[in-house]
Amino acid sequence: MHILLVEDDNETASYLIKGLKESGHVVDRASDGKEGLFMAFDSNFDALIVDRMLPELDGLTLITKIREKNSDIPIIILSALGEVDERVKGLKYGADDYLAKPFSFSELLARLDAVIRRNQHENNNSLLELGDLKLDLLSRRVEREGQIIDLQPREYKLLEFLLRRPNQVVTRTMLLEGVWEYHFDPQTNVIDVHISRLRSKIDKPFKGKQMLFTERGAGYALRYDE
Amino acid sequence: MMNNPFNLASFRLIFIYTMLLGLSVGLVLMFLFFTTARDIELEADQKIIEKVEDLNNIYLRYREQGLLNYIRSETSRATLDIYRLYDSQNNYIAGNIKTEPKDIKINDDGWIEFAYQVNENGVEKVHYGRGRNFITPRRNLRLIVGRVVNDEKILKERFLYSSLWSILIIIFLGIFGGYILSRNFLKRISDINKTSKKIMDGNLKERLPTTKGKDELNQLSSNLNEMLDRLDSLMSNMKEVSDNVAHDLRTPLNRIRTNLEVTLMSNPDIDQYKKSFEDALVETDNLIKTFNSILSISKVESGTSDLDRNQVSLKELILNMHELYEPIADSDGIKLNYEVNEDIIINGNYNLLSQALANLIENAINYGCSNDNPSINVGAKQNENLLSLWVSDNGIGIRDADKDKVLERFVRLDSSRSLKGSGLGLNLVSSAVKFHEGTLKLINAKPSGLIILIEIPIDS
Repeated sequence: MHILLVEDDNETASYLIKGLKESGHVVDRASDGKEGLFMAFDSNFDALIVDRMLPELDGLTLITKIREKNSDIPIIILSALGEVDERVKGLKYGADDYLAKPFSFSELLARLDAVIRRNQHENNNSLLELGDLKLDLLSRRVEREGQIIDLQPREYKLLEFLLRRPNQVVTRTMLLEGVWEYHFDPQTNVIDVHISRLRSKIDKPFKGKQMLFTERGAGYALRYDE
Repeated sequence: MMNNPFNLASFRLIFIYTMLLGLSVGLVLMFLFFTTARDIELEADQKIIEKVEDLNNIYLRYREQGLLNYIRSETSRATLDIYRLYDSQNNYIAGNIKTEPKDIKINDDGWIEFAYQVNENGVEKVHYGRGRNFITPRRNLRLIVGRVVNDEKILKERFLYSSLWSILIIIFLGIFGGYILSRNFLKRISDINKTSKKIMDGNLKERLPTTKGKDELNQLSSNLNEMLDRLDSLMSNMKEVSDNVAHDLRTPLNRIRTNLEVTLMSNPDIDQYKKSFEDALVETDNLIKTFNSILSISKVESGTSDLDRNQVSLKELILNMHELYEPIADSDGIKLNYEVNEDIIINGNYNLLSQALANLIENAINYGCSNDNPSINVGAKQNENLLSLWVSDNGIGIRDADKDKVLERFVRLDSSRSLKGSGLGLNLVSSAVKFHEGTLKLINAKPSGLIILIEIPIDS
């Protein structure tokens, strides 16, 4: 993926570029808002990572200008302002996701992946499918290997969230935000227990391959390898 | 800069007020004067008209000689009446106006006003008269009958003069009084100024002087004092935060540093590097969590946060929390129960309440479940205007002496700090409760266990 990073801090930028390159992305960097705007209009990027506070042109203004051009390029804001209301403000200005500094790199990668894919194929299908795992959004029926799986409402929501992001890493924070709509860090591993419950329903009873994986240091991923 | 009372708003007000007062007093005096003067004038005019009638009668009865005699006898003594008699050739015959009247003004209704020269003890003076012409029926004599209006004129002038003076005195007294009052006011202002200067210079315990009175200045001072108290508590809160940060964040930072340094020193292989890095990552993540907690606590506590309030259903809140934590409690062999019947609505911040409840449940799971048959109860109920929300466990409870201590920042009763946690959980709960104007109580249950009870008064 071709990514534009608009970040004024050289140190942060070089770490991010290194990390993104190692994860297989091509990265261009702009060191202020104006340069970022020119570069964004100049060539075709798959996603933008924009720092909230930038010299010359503020991050939110930059996003507004890009959105005014009717561009639906995925944008993630990085910000030292981590409050929930700041986050809401960022999303209102047209960002697809908002990440408060300091963040873990795997969190950024997972979210980047999520916004790019969301942009690529918005799934309007009423049937979510991965391998032999099927989830019917209308009848709320879940089955694997043709066998119906009985899920609690939240387990269903969790699985739906994962199935909408097949073969992608999702972090615990993304799950807590996306499935439970909470914006705080629990001190315990609550999410892990929910995942293992889900796993015991969709993986363990079946002789097929494991699908719900734990990604060490990052989160979870629902995969199906042929 | 504040030494000139003329610059004060109060003085300006008094000045305007005095001017208005002076003006109205002037108007009243004028009105009085003109109405009285007119009455006197009318009465005098009436007398002249009567006199003209008398003269007419005298003329009719005694003819020219009678008229002449009458005028001579009238003018032989001091009188305010004035006469001047002419013959048919318009020559002066008799009367107490010896000189020809000047500046004669004839009004429409027959009245004439005029000025004439008088020799008083050798000094030439101008007198003023008002009267009527009386012409005998045979037209051989003409008489000016009138009265001296000098005194009236003088009275008018005096009146105007004294009115002007009284207005001037009123204005002077007003302004002088205003000056005195303002100076008094100014002194209090300057006291306030001095004190605020002291406060600005860093003497933060200083407070503005207040007196027993209830006037605006006093109210202002006490409001400012309250504001200073509030700022003071915020400041000490901030100070506490930075002390805590220094104290409690240094330790993990030091661990990270030592870990990395020692790893580098020992000529490590790739696995040792990896291990060391992983440890450092875990420590940093915890640091970030702690840091975020401190920030959100002080944001809630400062009261400056613009956390919005919405209608929050406590039933929904508890059900969602139960749903989130039931699996982890279950995996630890703990029964997590909830009791909430009616739907209780509170005007609050959903995220903050969730976090507070989450912290309480996590605390109960981590610390409150040491016995054989552990269980946790989460519940809410409403008693008229009081709303209760609680989390209880059947663990060992808490010593009375520790009850206040656990609400403070970074306090962990487990002195070895072997269990994970930042020591900020209950502190956040306490801030969240404060935000919702409620109270937080720690109660030891019988036979064992701890009840954490949050009570929030609500408007019915």
